[in-house]
Amino acid sequence: MPTVTIDDIQVEVEQGATILDAANKAGVWIPTLCHHPAVTPQATCRICMVELDRGEWKQLVTACNYPVRRDITVSVSGDNAVKARRGVMEFMLARAPDNEQLKAIAGRMGVDSTPWPTVTVAQRDCILCGLCTAVCDEVLGLAAIGFSGRGVDRAVAAPFRQAPDDCIACGACQAVCPVGTIQLRLHEDTDEIEISPFKARAKLRKCEQCGARVVSEPTAAEALKNVNVDWEKIRNLAKLCPKCRRIRAAESLAATASGTPTKEMTR
Amino acid sequence: MTEKTTTRDELIEDIIDRYDGETGMLIPMMQDLQTECGYLPADELRRLAERLDLPVSRLYAVATFYSSFRLAPKGLHEVTLCIGTVCYLKGAGRISEAICSEFQVEPGGTTPDGLFSYLPVNCVGACALAPVMIVDGEYHDGVSVDAAMEILRTLPAEEIDSEQEAQT
Repeated sequence: MPTVTIDDIQVEVEQGATILDAANKAGVWIPTLCHHPAVTPQATCRICMVELDRGEWKQLVTACNYPVRRDITVSVSGDNAVKARRGVMEFMLARAPDNEQLKAIAGRMGVDSTPWPTVTVAQRDCILCGLCTAVCDEVLGLAAIGFSGRGVDRAVAAPFRQAPDDCIACGACQAVCPVGTIQLRLHEDTDEIEISPFKARAKLRKCEQCGARVVSEPTAAEALKNVNVDWEKIRNLAKLCPKCRRIRAAESLAATASGTPTKEMTR
Repeated sequence: MTEKTTTRDELIEDIIDRYDGETGMLIPMMQDLQTECGYLPADELRRLAERLDLPVSRLYAVATFYSSFRLAPKGLHEVTLCIGTVCYLKGAGRISEAICSEFQVEPGGTTPDGLFSYLPVNCVGACALAPVMIVDGEYHDGVSVDAAMEILRTLPAEEIDSEQEAQT
């Protein structure tokens, strides 16, 4: 296994692991934003840049997607690497000057403000890392949202900037957004969930037993598509919230133990 | 141009066939679609995406990335305003603002009634005539805000010009 020397700490990692993996193993913190284990490395945000020692020369590389193939020496806390990452952070702060998540990471990196003029309110907060579009495409296979425009007009948007047809309002984009720009809005009056700012809306499934809101209806339907066995029991369990589902399963188990077949089992 | 009787689906099929359904030829396909329709209509883009088994968001990303693709129909007339340095100093900025507010049009967009497409450009090489506004290829020089608005207000709302031009 190749050895990675990070700031004088030596760790062994699997062939093909990334510098970020090695850093995690070594206990060295490298800031990340566009990195998420659920998707392939995006390497779009550039906040994880480190300096790779190539002997005669040194090179800045993104730690999140640089594969370790042989023994390498990497500097995370060296002047060049720190300067590069701070420079990137200053640009990002210009896009999201009031973002608490970003400010927290910036603080940890020793950046407290940006020298650059901030962007217009309409473009504010999104750092264009592409994690939301990647999760929608790679994990959900929907690609309901994508990038639009280019240069200063680049933005994440649904096609034609309308409520996306392909969106199932699963909320994965919200879950992965590193700066909390994508948000879920609950519409109490209509029992709908809205993914902001994409204007996507869907009815929420309510637990048949206790009435708790579970997931959006299209998400439940999409998940059931992946269940290959056509078993009514599963479809019935899917109508419950996780808590009621556990209670139902426990009851069923207890009944099995005592030998009395329940209604559930005879179906 | 294909005949107008060609249905939307036939048009899409035809365009896809031209490139053997190769998804790598998406841009040429979209260019052909724009040539046929004058712009990229949303329904046609959705249909194309469906047939190529690509997400609509991918086509939208391509359509918005390249400035030569347009998602709204071209207006009846084409209005180009020079906002190069000289024209700008001579008041082209104010003319642009006036056009945008009176006709509810954005730079690069088309008026809601489809009367004209408005495109501000950087220098048309006629600085001596500044500020310059070009309407359907006709140069108007030294225009003031009032003069420019007057020209646009009197634009014929029907396609008389081009048809007459075609006949002559």
